[in-house]
Amino acid sequence: MTGTPAPGTIIETRGLDLWYGPCQALKEITILIPANRVTALIGPSGCGKSTLLRCFNRMNDLVPDCRVAGLALYHGADINAPGYDVVELRKRVGMVFQKPNPFPKSIYENVAYGPRIHGERDRATLDAVVERSLRSAALWDEVEDRLQEPALGLSGGQQQRLCIARTLAVEPDVILMDEPCSALDPIATAKIENLIDDLKKRYTVIIVTHNMQQAARVSEFTGFMYLGELVEYGETLQVFERPAERLTENYITGRFG
Amino acid sequence: MQSHRSTLFLPGLAAVVIGALLVAGCTGTGETATPAPTGPPGGPAGRLSVTGSTTVLPVAQALAERYMDLNSGADIQVSGGGSSVGIAAVGEKTAEIGMASRGLKDAETAKYAALEPVAIARDGIAVIVHPSNAVAHLTLDQVREIYAGNVTNWKDVGGQDRQIVAIGRDSASGTREFFTEKVMGTTSTTATMLEKNSNGAIQSSVAPNPGAIGYVGLGYLDATVRAVPLQVDGTAVEPSIETVADGRYPVARELYFVTSGGATGLAQEFIAFALSGEGQQIVEKEGFIPVAA
Amino acid sequence: MHPTSTARLPAPARAGRSHLEEHAIRALWLACALVAVLAVGFILAFLVVYGLPAFAEIGVLEVLLGDSWSPTATPPAFGILPLAVGTLLVTLGAMLFAVPLSVATAIYLGELAPPRVRNLVRPAIELLAGIPSVVFGFFGLIVLVEWLRVSFAVPSGESVLAGSLLLGVMTLPTIISVSEDAISSVPREFREGSLALGATRWQTIRRVVVPSALPGVTAAIILGMGRAIGETMAVMMVTGNAAVIPSPITDVLSPVRTLTGTLGIEMGEVAIGSLHYHALFAVATVLLVITLAVNLGASAILRRLNASATGRGSPSRLAAVLGRPRAGMAVPVLAAVLAAAVAHSVGGLLPALAVFAAGLLLLAAVPRLSRNQAEKAAFLLLYLAVAAVVAILAIILLDIVSKGLPALSWEFLTGSPRDLGRAGGIFPAIVGTLCLVAGAIALALPLGVGAAIHLAEYRRENRLTRLIRSGVDLLNGTPSIVFGLFGFTFFVLYLEFGVSMLAGQVTLGLMVLPTIIRTTEEALRQVPQGLREGSLALGATQWQTVRRVVLPPAAPGILTGTILSVGRAAGETAPILFTAAVFSQRHLPSSLLDPVMALPYHLFVLATNVPGAQQNTYGTALVLILLVGAVYAVTIAVRARYRAAGGAPG
Ligand SMILES: Nc1ncnc2c1ncn2[C@@H]1O[C@H](COP(=O)(O)OP(=O)(O)O)[C@@H](O)[C@H]1O
Ligand SMILES: [Mg+2]
Repeated sequence: MTGTPAPGTIIETRGLDLWYGPCQALKEITILIPANRVTALIGPSGCGKSTLLRCFNRMNDLVPDCRVAGLALYHGADINAPGYDVVELRKRVGMVFQKPNPFPKSIYENVAYGPRIHGERDRATLDAVVERSLRSAALWDEVEDRLQEPALGLSGGQQQRLCIARTLAVEPDVILMDEPCSALDPIATAKIENLIDDLKKRYTVIIVTHNMQQAARVSEFTGFMYLGELVEYGETLQVFERPAERLTENYITGRFG
Repeated sequence: MQSHRSTLFLPGLAAVVIGALLVAGCTGTGETATPAPTGPPGGPAGRLSVTGSTTVLPVAQALAERYMDLNSGADIQVSGGGSSVGIAAVGEKTAEIGMASRGLKDAETAKYAALEPVAIARDGIAVIVHPSNAVAHLTLDQVREIYAGNVTNWKDVGGQDRQIVAIGRDSASGTREFFTEKVMGTTSTTATMLEKNSNGAIQSSVAPNPGAIGYVGLGYLDATVRAVPLQVDGTAVEPSIETVADGRYPVARELYFVTSGGATGLAQEFIAFALSGEGQQIVEKEGFIPVAA
Repeated sequence: MHPTSTARLPAPARAGRSHLEEHAIRALWLACALVAVLAVGFILAFLVVYGLPAFAEIGVLEVLLGDSWSPTATPPAFGILPLAVGTLLVTLGAMLFAVPLSVATAIYLGELAPPRVRNLVRPAIELLAGIPSVVFGFFGLIVLVEWLRVSFAVPSGESVLAGSLLLGVMTLPTIISVSEDAISSVPREFREGSLALGATRWQTIRRVVVPSALPGVTAAIILGMGRAIGETMAVMMVTGNAAVIPSPITDVLSPVRTLTGTLGIEMGEVAIGSLHYHALFAVATVLLVITLAVNLGASAILRRLNASATGRGSPSRLAAVLGRPRAGMAVPVLAAVLAAAVAHSVGGLLPALAVFAAGLLLLAAVPRLSRNQAEKAAFLLLYLAVAAVVAILAIILLDIVSKGLPALSWEFLTGSPRDLGRAGGIFPAIVGTLCLVAGAIALALPLGVGAAIHLAEYRRENRLTRLIRSGVDLLNGTPSIVFGLFGFTFFVLYLEFGVSMLAGQVTLGLMVLPTIIRTTEEALRQVPQGLREGSLALGATQWQTVRRVVLPPAAPGILTGTILSVGRAAGETAPILFTAAVFSQRHLPSSLLDPVMALPYHLFVLATNVPGAQQNTYGTALVLILLVGAVYAVTIAVRARYRAAGGAPG
């Protein structure tokens, strides 16, 4: 199935296959991700959502025995081509993980980490970036006066927003979010959802979630995956209200099995 | 009330159990080793522990090996450790014979009044250098100046232009003490002298090192090192069994077997063997000088 | 079936008996745990009491700060300062050499090595941790010292440098294994988080992985340092033992003498009861105090690092300083200055300037490298370090194996030594070593497991528990020569065991006790709390729970600790030097009060006392390595099996 959303495409896969050792985790995935929109990937546990997401910034490189075939394009360039600068790719395509993973450093150092590794040394610039990123992640007011304290002392929701701030500080094009709220309580979840709403003005967001309400609330496009295949992909409203596929309908209505 | 009783009783129980475990463990190991054979009828039998000076060790070992060949019932164990380990072991009666390369110290005779040393051999201390060292001979004064750190180049004593590396025994050793007494007098040894804890260690450090000088018992002389003749009254005297025996070689001392309160049984037999004609032949073969006239 | 009769069981009596039993068992474990504390207290008191006459007669300051150790001079001088300086210099040198190499190797193994290489190299390095120190000493004496003498064109190679290099090599396996553990246990999320921000692999390693593993790496370094300070045999064989303070202090080619070396050399010859004898106890006291200080300081540092890493408590100043970029520059600058100073005292002004200039150039160049260049350069350095480590260890092993193999024969393995060990075999030494080890384990295993049960299962974190724990730590940090000294004066002389197997077994048993306690406690703590709660909730007593539910899954861990202790006990020389070992023995010992031959001691004597025995010396070294290596291999295999089985007992 090839949902083909209209506006400028930023990430695209064509017939993407992926194997973990002998097990095929992605089958013939073809998807076009529109720029400056929020795209959600939904589907039952183990269907390959995270795997697909991790193809977009080549995070699967870290998995031994992981093999990819087919095309994955970012701004039209094959990201799996030999010689492609994966470090640059990851700088442009940021990622927020399921479990908040701040570094065991201070709050400030966590946010400043990205700019620093990309060569920024000027203290004033760093200060500005840190403040701007924390504000964008709606965390500034809560941590303003304890920037030098360890990040691991923050609550789960705060840690996740810190990870978002950390990603924003690198000024990426795309932000990949892998179930960013699954470890959080409803209030923290609401804060992050609001945040995503803000972010889509400036960034392309791809979010994996198994919470369908969340997908419906925050996204403009939704892809439904099942057993490693992209079953249906289209505008969120259409996917949720008039699914073209029987499988999608069953999943969305909770009649699954 | 109950807890009161148990606090008194339980630690005691614990101690007993631990003790039992300990004994069980140790006996278990004792059995893993096969016991020494009991001797055939004839020669003296039993076990004899000889411990102490590493200088005396080779000759004691050779004596023991020959003695055990002659008397298969005897089991003589020779161990090193040092003169004072030997003397203390005899004093504490944990060994029958102590080996010493020095006489008894005041502290030792005060602590163990019954100690009796018996001289079983004489030992010449040879000054050794690298085989390639061209120095013809040294006087005792020159040796002293070298070990005092005042002469630091071989060219100052008739050798090549090469820095001297002085190697000596550790400050607790009988050999060092004897060397100090006989050669150094009141001059103190240079702090930069390398210290070794055995004759063998000195010999093997001197052997590969062209600049080295050391001193060892005659028994440790071999082709890997060169013994430097010492000049006495204008004549150079090689260290050898003859020159030590006839008193011409100036640096020689006595080696002792020490017993407590007079030797008895196997210890007595073994010492007698050491002093016998055959024993003294072994002494000579090991590079020491017989004591018996 | 008969609910009424069950209900009428005489409940109080039953409860009373099992209550009593529980108390007895609890007290038993407490007693085991107290042994460690008592042993430390006793050893310390013993050293101090025996050292006291020296301090009293010579003066505390004269002993501690006197700059001359010359017991046979007239008047004798007993200043410990040069010995302490020697110990510190050699240890520092060893760390400067070993830390970069081993941390680099650990990083390689943890982050860069392909799994196949890692699975091969990791156990190999653990195996090397088991090589007895006297084997290293032997190698140092025969090969390293001579190599230094020739390549630096100095009169003698016996020097600070020789000691540092050898000690450094000896501590490599320890530091590598423990650091690698720390690096591997850095959560994967940290790496992913950093890479996802566009960091290179090297940036991720340098800025996230290593800082997160810092507490573990520090612990590894401290462990290695403790080993270096307490090492006797190897150091004694290569440092020259001249009791001088090198001048200038950076002259790494000067001979020195360490505290441990002094004890190892002089204890055997000193007249017991003399002032010199007591001065040696003063030396031992200072040595013990230094190791204790290192241990205590280390655990303080670790606590702070841990606190700041886990986010509990405020960030430590140390971590803050380490994290500051300017302070980061201070370390390389310091290193450059130090290297220049060493080059100056070794080679003169020109090399010094060259080294310093090279250092500055490097410092100036590093920030100008692009990220990819920096990564390439860093990885190149890592690979070089790994190659160096592998080469060093391979050279040592190859040398010993190639020269030792010709000596191995049926007669060598089953015969008694003849002609001072130049001929004949080493059978009594093999048997003696096995007996010593068996006795040590028989003593330490029940005591150690009991103590660990007390600490892990009957814990109530109070004063006593803390005391016991520090006791175990201190015992663990006590240098083996100090055990030897204590064993000699207490078991051999005072308790009149004589130089005997028993004295050696007890001394070795005390030495390995902390290893067994720690590994057992660790294994017990790995057992999930839920298991205990499950059992207790069924009405089992605590002891029943421990015996039936906690101990079985902990068994492999306890086994690992035991086998490691076996390896350590089999390879140690210093503790049996004065307590158990004889040089030669025609028959096997028949009672616990007989002395025994032992492989490490035999090797030591052959290497240092018997000229012309080189072939048998290499043969003995090889047998010793094979023996200890086999023990370690079993450990590694056992652990791998249990890991594969998911840690569950079969
Ligand atoms: N590192 C891995 N190694 C092997 N198989 C994996 C790995 N990660 C995921 N898988 C497998 O790939 C499939 C898809 O996993 P994932 O993408 O994590 O699913 P989702 O995120 O949709 O729950 C699952 O069957 C999972 O078991
Ligand atoms: Mg997932």
